[in-house]
Amino acid sequence: MELFQPEFGLVFWMFVAFALLYFILAKYAWPVIIKSMEDRADLIDKGVAYAQEAKSKLDNARAEADKLVAEAQKQQADILRDAAKMKTQIIEEAKEQAAVEARKVTEAAQVSIEQSRKESEHQLRREVGAYALQIAEQVVRERMSDDKAQRELVDKLLNEVENYN
Amino acid sequence: MKKVVTTIVVLLIAALMAWGFIENAKHHKGEASHEVNAKEIIFEHLGDAYGWEVPFNHSRRIPLPIIVRGNDGAWHAFLSSRVTGGETYEGFRIAVEGAHKGKVVQDDGTPDGYRPWDFSITKNVAGILIAALLVVLMMFSVRNWYRRHGMKAPRKGTAFLELIVDFVYTDTIRPIMGREAKKYAPYLLTAFFFILTMNLLGLIVIFPGGANLTGNLAVTMVLALCTFLITNLTGTKHYWKDIFWPDVPVALKCPVPMMPIIEFLGIFTKPLALMVRLFANMLGGHMVVIVLILLTFIFTEKFSLGVGIGTSVVSVALALFMLVLDTLISFIQAYVFTLLSTIFINMAHLHDEKHEEAAQA
Repeated sequence: MELFQPEFGLVFWMFVAFALLYFILAKYAWPVIIKSMEDRADLIDKGVAYAQEAKSKLDNARAEADKLVAEAQKQQADILRDAAKMKTQIIEEAKEQAAVEARKVTEAAQVSIEQSRKESEHQLRREVGAYALQIAEQVVRERMSDDKAQRELVDKLLNEVENYN
Repeated sequence: MKKVVTTIVVLLIAALMAWGFIENAKHHKGEASHEVNAKEIIFEHLGDAYGWEVPFNHSRRIPLPIIVRGNDGAWHAFLSSRVTGGETYEGFRIAVEGAHKGKVVQDDGTPDGYRPWDFSITKNVAGILIAALLVVLMMFSVRNWYRRHGMKAPRKGTAFLELIVDFVYTDTIRPIMGREAKKYAPYLLTAFFFILTMNLLGLIVIFPGGANLTGNLAVTMVLALCTFLITNLTGTKHYWKDIFWPDVPVALKCPVPMMPIIEFLGIFTKPLALMVRLFANMLGGHMVVIVLILLTFIFTEKFSLGVGIGTSVVSVALALFMLVLDTLISFIQAYVFTLLSTIFINMAHLHDEKHEEAAQA
């Protein structure tokens, strides 16, 4: 039967056609197709990896930003607290300084008052002395008779004056 | 809209069928002794021919070139239309009966005639060339897509072709062959697409289909022979050692070399199985379809036109089902051929594991 007896012509042409097809496709089509397919698969794999990396990076960035914000808030609170502390401290210091200054001024005033008091005492004494001498002179001039008795009297008077002061 | 189109198509097919019936009935009314010769019709459809039938016409054929080398050593080339009518041209005619029935023979006085070297572009050869051309066009369309669009994924038909290439290469050849895949992929992919195209062309009943290509032993023989040659010509030392001195108990290979004989026969049975599997599957599918359609004519003749029409509904439905199944089988058989070729070639590339490690180190 014809179907089971391979015809030589058909075998020949089949072989020629198959060989030609093989050489044409192996030279021009298959390498390009396979390479393009593999390249695209690589590209897609890379794209997926890149996307995953980007996503994880984004997640990290968000966490980092949250951390930064929290830190900044903490810092702000610290600064505010410090400022408040500093304010009270400055006020305290100013008060203290003012007190010291005031005391100094009072002291200086007391000293000057004391001085002027002493001075005025001295002056008074001098003046009193001078007056006394003048008085004594007058007295002495009037009572020139007894020099010695007079002089004793003057001394006695002067001492009295001094003790009186 | 879709429903309307479907209805029209179905009605058109039914009308054509009825018209064919009536024409056929008219044609055969005169010949009382006419009987449907099922066997002849089946083998006429499955076999090769000088010329290609056109639909709805039994006598006119597309002429194809006949190329023969006569017994005098001279080459003759002419169109088949010069001899298909039963004429003799340049001493050549198509034998009506005898040892070379249906083939071109040269008159040399004997009743059978001289069978010349026949390199004619017969229906099957033309079918093979058309299939090869289609494969080239398909694969170049895929290749040109990459040339034009770079990394962009193909669309529509090109995407479908790429899907099949991807399935055969990435999911079958590469996992089996590993780093040798690139070297043998061109052959395997070519074989796959060539077989697939021939299978599918065989299912289309009108030109350029209708040639029973992969259901012809010559075609599958060439395909299996190629796998056989690649397997054995590229076989490693270890492969041959495994055939003639396999790793089995010594009693099995000496003094009676039982295992070596079995292994040696295996070299030939593997491609033989490839050849017969594809051939039988495709031939069987075609034969069932033809027989189912023929039932209509046989019943018309044996009983009446009414019975024939009734049968036609059933047989067309069954034939349609068979054709759909054959489409699936076309893919499966092309894939099986490729898969087994891959495995056979890979098996011939056995390496001594120690040797391999030493080479890699």
